[in-house]
Amino acid sequence: MALITVRFYSLWRSYLGTDSSALQADDIQDALSQLETEFGPRLREKLETAGVHLDGKIQDYSLILLNGISLRNIKSTALKEGDVLHIFPPAIGG
Amino acid sequence: MKGNAADTDIRQRIAQSAESHVGPGGTAHLVISLKTTASIASSQAVSAREVEIAALKHGIIPCRYLRNIGTIGLNGQIRLLQSTAAVVGAGGLGSTVIELLARQGIGHLIIIDDDRFAEDNLNRQIMSTEENLGQYKVMAAVRRVREINSATNVKTFRERLTRDNARSLLAGARVVIDGLDNLSSRIAVEQICRQLAIPYVYASIGGFNGQIMAIFPEDPGLSSLYGSSSDAMPEQGIETRIGNPPATVALIAALQVQEAVKIITGVGTPIRNQVLMVDARECAVDRIELSS
Repeated sequence: MALITVRFYSLWRSYLGTDSSALQADDIQDALSQLETEFGPRLREKLETAGVHLDGKIQDYSLILLNGISLRNIKSTALKEGDVLHIFPPAIGG
Repeated sequence: MKGNAADTDIRQRIAQSAESHVGPGGTAHLVISLKTTASIASSQAVSAREVEIAALKHGIIPCRYLRNIGTIGLNGQIRLLQSTAAVVGAGGLGSTVIELLARQGIGHLIIIDDDRFAEDNLNRQIMSTEENLGQYKVMAAVRRVREINSATNVKTFRERLTRDNARSLLAGARVVIDGLDNLSSRIAVEQICRQLAIPYVYASIGGFNGQIMAIFPEDPGLSSLYGSSSDAMPEQGIETRIGNPPATVALIAALQVQEAVKIITGVGTPIRNQVLMVDARECAVDRIELSS
């Protein structure tokens, strides 16, 4: 079990009303699961209020980095004390 | 420049025409006006850019760059005038980037875009007007640059940048600036820039938010954000739901230009191996350190 920090950016920060949260997790899946439980419903409710309907969990429509590396590039699911998850929606317009 | 005798003539004309200008802080500079620059260029059959570079090399500032010099110095302005910046995409981010680079005094601009203006571009694409809807964006861009700065040489390509044409389209570019609106094109441009060893100033926006980073060929770049595999990469983002408002576009494009200026002039530190997250709604700016 490791104590990690989750940092929210962009629209997620605005809609969740916080820029970070701390949680104890066994591994990445556990962290994402806790994140979904604690923040998922609130985020989707805010999005719905803004007229944005998104299906699925936070992780399905977010970019997530662990210590500055995309989760898509990370093979080990282990977490260590002090790890930081960065979470934000993809913004790809120009 | 021309031969030695002609160079001497140009230098003499510049020196004779220079005027003292006292700035608001009381600092005096020798300057030459736009009109004088044009006159020397015409009489000596050289470009306005060459006259400006010759003046700057002798400590005489083209008046139009007077308010640039305090940040980048004479040498920085010379480097800009001698450099080429390529802008891939002349839409929201790209058109503001083009406008600002022309005002900053870039010597050569390469503009690549195959699209025409549509009505839903009017909110943020600075070169779109009610009059030019339906026209190619590169046409408006080249007109605008000529209106702003006759010293900036512009090459336009009304096509998409691909691996096949990249080497010829980007020839001579010191920096490539992102004016794109989708991820797959950005990843392709990043790969091309790596192959050609050109720094790439990435940016993207959605709603009140934008992100930017300078990606040098050896940097991990977009894979840190989006992963290395193209599987499950988002093609579009939150902007499809919450839009691209004009102020966010202008804000992020301005930061892109500042990165390009830093890369070209060597003044300041480009934002490498970090992504700058700008949140205009919450007035928050964060840096996320990236790893590979």
